[in-house]
Amino acid sequence: MRLTDYDRELAQINREISELQRNAYSTRIDAETTTKFVYRLYHRASLSGKFADFEEAEAEIDKAISRIGPAQDLCLLKANLDFKFHRLAQSKRDLSLAPGLVQTFHGRALQADIAFQEGRYDDARGEYELLINEERSWDNLARLAYLRSKMGDLGGAEQLYVEAEDEITAKEMKSFAWVELQRGLLDLTHGHFDQAWDHYSRADRAYSGHWLIDEHVAELLGAQHRFEEAAVLYEKVIERTPKPELQQALGDLYALMGRQERAEPWYEKALEVYLESAGRGYVHYYHHLADFYADVRGDAGEALKWAHKDLELRNNFSTQAAFAWALYLDHQFQEALEVIGRALSSGVKEAGLFVQAGMIYKAAGRSNEGDGYLRLAAELNPQFHSFHVHH
Amino acid sequence: MADHNDPNAVNSIFSDIDVSAADLYDLFGFPSEDVTGAEKVVIALTFASVPSAGVLDCDLLYRIQMVAEPRVLRSAETEHTLEGFLQYVSAIKDKYLGPLRASEIRVTIDQAQRATVRFFNFPGGNFATVVDTNKVVTIDTPDGHAIKTFVGGRDDAFFNDLPGFFRSINYAPQFYHVPHTMTEARELTIPKTLLELDGNDLFNYDPNFPDWGHGFKKPLPPGPWTWNGNKFRKDVNGNYRFVYSGKDAQAGKNVNAIILEIPIAFITKSPVENRIINTWGESWVLKAAHKVETISDDLFRLENPLALVDALKQDAELKKYKLVDTDGQPFADAALSEREDNRQLGANNFWLAPHFVKRLAHLGWGFGPSISALGLQTSFDHDNSPVSVHKTYSLVAEAFPRIKKTLFQELNMPNNSWNKKGLDIPLRRPFEIFIPNVCAIDMDTTGTWPFGRRLEDQVATRFLSMFLDMEAEFNGTKYHLEMLNNQALWDQAPIEPKTPPNPLKNDADFLDHFPYLAEPHQTVA
Repeated sequence: MRLTDYDRELAQINREISELQRNAYSTRIDAETTTKFVYRLYHRASLSGKFADFEEAEAEIDKAISRIGPAQDLCLLKANLDFKFHRLAQSKRDLSLAPGLVQTFHGRALQADIAFQEGRYDDARGEYELLINEERSWDNLARLAYLRSKMGDLGGAEQLYVEAEDEITAKEMKSFAWVELQRGLLDLTHGHFDQAWDHYSRADRAYSGHWLIDEHVAELLGAQHRFEEAAVLYEKVIERTPKPELQQALGDLYALMGRQERAEPWYEKALEVYLESAGRGYVHYYHHLADFYADVRGDAGEALKWAHKDLELRNNFSTQAAFAWALYLDHQFQEALEVIGRALSSGVKEAGLFVQAGMIYKAAGRSNEGDGYLRLAAELNPQFHSFHVHH
Repeated sequence: MADHNDPNAVNSIFSDIDVSAADLYDLFGFPSEDVTGAEKVVIALTFASVPSAGVLDCDLLYRIQMVAEPRVLRSAETEHTLEGFLQYVSAIKDKYLGPLRASEIRVTIDQAQRATVRFFNFPGGNFATVVDTNKVVTIDTPDGHAIKTFVGGRDDAFFNDLPGFFRSINYAPQFYHVPHTMTEARELTIPKTLLELDGNDLFNYDPNFPDWGHGFKKPLPPGPWTWNGNKFRKDVNGNYRFVYSGKDAQAGKNVNAIILEIPIAFITKSPVENRIINTWGESWVLKAAHKVETISDDLFRLENPLALVDALKQDAELKKYKLVDTDGQPFADAALSEREDNRQLGANNFWLAPHFVKRLAHLGWGFGPSISALGLQTSFDHDNSPVSVHKTYSLVAEAFPRIKKTLFQELNMPNNSWNKKGLDIPLRRPFEIFIPNVCAIDMDTTGTWPFGRRLEDQVATRFLSMFLDMEAEFNGTKYHLEMLNNQALWDQAPIEPKTPPNPLKNDADFLDHFPYLAEPHQTVA
């Protein structure tokens, strides 16, 4: 059987890790080998998506920093890892550990990402634009595209994604596939399923065998009411990468199919991991816990608890909307109105946000405005009520 | 788990930058000594052997461009002024950006490891053919010429003490683990020098780590990365310590190469008049979007082994690629352009002219006093500084007087063997060697550097010789480009180790026949 691009890359990374591991911590400090070793661990984790791989990478990064010192590349890696897991304060602290890191190109890009996550959208946009003026790197073009897409500038976002792709070479096919996924997702969230298919299929041609592409395809199949195919694909993806958010998505899919008995075990599995993660002090599933308790269990109290925790860490339109939704479920309509107002004032234009706003406004007795938001949601994505995942 | 945009999850910026097949190493060019049949020129472009020696990267496109022109005899009253220099640059610019159209040989590799070789803008028209790699093949052109061709793995023909060069310019990434983010920690602000500086612990030879800088790197210590001394280091015997070792850092290494032996009548309709073949190389990498287009289809193959190529498609093809590297003159990148990606201009490096002046003056403040300390005469005006100085310039006008002589002096050759026909050929001068960044092969010479570049030329040491005063004499002979390769000079110099800076010959013998570069070394998988 022919190896996929994913299999080949993973095998290559594993080989390199084995070779580097032997020398990374020999008696003589070889900063180059050690750094390469921890970077490869991070690559493997990013590729597999497995939390255990990230934990291993994190432990080795810390070990490398304690041995070599706060080198810029190690601190940058640590800051990225903390950012990935929603630990924004730690990420900022990591960036300040290595002298001069915050002024570097990559350090500035990460700070702009943090600004976006903290709801400082103008700061993020300004820095992305500055970085792009200095160097048109594909990742910064993609960052700005994402921001523009959130703010409703679809044409601008699409143009930037196209420009990003033009900067990517044949040596970075995984990056190209990732940008194609973003373009597909943009189409999916506006109800353009055919275009989404085109992008996902291009992503798969660019980089075959990646579970991330299959995950997106499964969602699209679900959105198109091809539920059985979607469920089969989700199960395959989960077998490879047992991420709880995927288990929840499969549960949602079965629930939508009216097969609650099949949904429930997946929900239970997902919840178990979410809670176990939070119990160990990790914060990256707070958002999922808020969503889960709100939309799956209808448990307003728990939804409020987790949404509030997330909001304390990341005060942005997404966490505000989740908190407002939990308040709505708890019948605290005026409070929900105030919080959803903050999310709306971000300028973000998303069907999901507008649906929640519509429901909250109506519940608070402001039906006209509520209907207005629901209309806006329908205009943005006529297919919003199809199956979808919270990305 | 991430409910946010995260391109870094896939971004390769966080990996160490691996060696790439796009990394061009050298461009050699010299008149062929094979005098059977037509007069021919040999051009060899070498690059990193990735994936491996003899296996070429299918996503790369290599271009070798060339322009033939008459040799220009210099008038006696050439102005040695900044204005004169800028006028020269301006004239060259107009020539290269104007009506002149370079001929081009373009090489790509298919999945079956066969090379598609295409010829554009030659007098005989455009055509293409497909050849096997790692074999000497002859391409018969539509207008009746025969071009010997080799595309594949060879021994690296460059022989050089690269760590010594990097030590001379205090290039930290050769000796320390320098994160890619730390662009300020590459060439440190320590005087460049040929002799170790007293107390320069950041770069002076460390006997505890003999492999330091030769693969082993130390962790970068906290700054400041400066030097506060005021003299060259001397040992107990009063000898300076050379930053060079004379050892060949490239020994045992392989490259991939495109090697051609081309009749010059194929390059120009007027081979008698056009005695200078200017050539340069480029590497381009395929864009991802265009790779995807080809994945579902059969890979590009030419049905006809000798197919005509539509010239109009030429530039359309290049739009599918990104320019990565250029190569014309040795050291044009590393020594004069600081290897910055945005300075990969190849022949069109005219706008670098002001930078070239400032950079040469910066190097002169490092190398000039080192040369003087050894009792030799330098072409650089350093005000009799007793030690190397770290000095940068923001104004060309300020730098120019310092390097005027270095820039304009004729580079003496050790003897007349280079001028094989005894013609009236002017000696070359640094400014015209490096701008434009092309290898200008004089077909009436042996093609030894700077009249081209022969495989056996020790160009690294010849580059350093630009800072010697070519009007001075050593043992009754005028300074020349090979003087620093003379062991007798080092034997009497107050220095250790007593060696020419770089090795005198390649680790593997060159062949006396095409493809001239030695067979690749056997490597352990």
